[in-house]
Amino acid sequence: MTGAAKDQEPIVLDYDLDEAPEKVWRALTDPALVAAWLAPNDIADSEVGERFSLQRAAEPSVECEVLESEPARRLSYSWRETPEHGRPLDSVVTFEITPQPGGGSHLRLVHRELETAGGGGLVSALQRATNDNCKFKGWSLAWAA
Amino acid sequence: MLEAANPQADLFRALADPTRRAVFERIVKSDEISVAELTRGSGVTQGAISQHLKLLKQAGLIAGFSVSQPAISQHLAALRGVGLVSERREGRFAYYRAQPQALAPLLDWMDRYRAFWPERIEKLKDVLKGMDR
Repeated sequence: MTGAAKDQEPIVLDYDLDEAPEKVWRALTDPALVAAWLAPNDIADSEVGERFSLQRAAEPSVECEVLESEPARRLSYSWRETPEHGRPLDSVVTFEITPQPGGGSHLRLVHRELETAGGGGLVSALQRATNDNCKFKGWSLAWAA
Repeated sequence: MLEAANPQADLFRALADPTRRAVFERIVKSDEISVAELTRGSGVTQGAISQHLKLLKQAGLIAGFSVSQPAISQHLAALRGVGLVSERREGRFAYYRAQPQALAPLLDWMDRYRAFWPERIEKLKDVLKGMDR
């Protein structure tokens, strides 16, 4: 599913969808539709800078801020689990929509931790470090899964 | 914003500093390493790769740590504080080892979302099928 060039990305998922980009965009931004597939939310207009939250039932709720918003093309928001749940790793979720011949769409979802000051994400840096050492073969497998 | 103190937050914070992360990466790559070796920052690891690195450093193409020993010691204290590094003292020398099991929260985070998103996208597909136009 993910090519070699994407190994630095923590999570990259690719999907071919029958629906047109505009329709996919609506499913990603309409509060009622987002509630149906992701979580109840208080999304307003998906403009850059808008803050919203996702109230997930069995998982920690998430605080988000829209970072990029290009209708029918690209939506990116920060993803921060609420601190009281104890996992406040800052991360970013990006949806890239590419129109396909025949009217469908390609959807790519990328979930990565925030870039650190040294360039590159935190998990990626540690992945590189641990992959270099045979002592951590077990851990490397966990990363690659 | 006030944040609740918890071990996982501390772990992520300890590793967010690029120099500290580089120190940790060096410790991971060596079986056991002293502060002096860490401070010197070259010729510690064995093999051809470290030779190449050494040549690159001599050529000024890449830099080793240009961090003072007190600074290294501070980073080591932070890494020890979150359990990423263990210390062994021998006389006036201290040696450090990586404790990768302390990275478990990071792996846990990855695992949760690797399972989470495919489930959600399946639901997204259902939603798309149910939309009028």
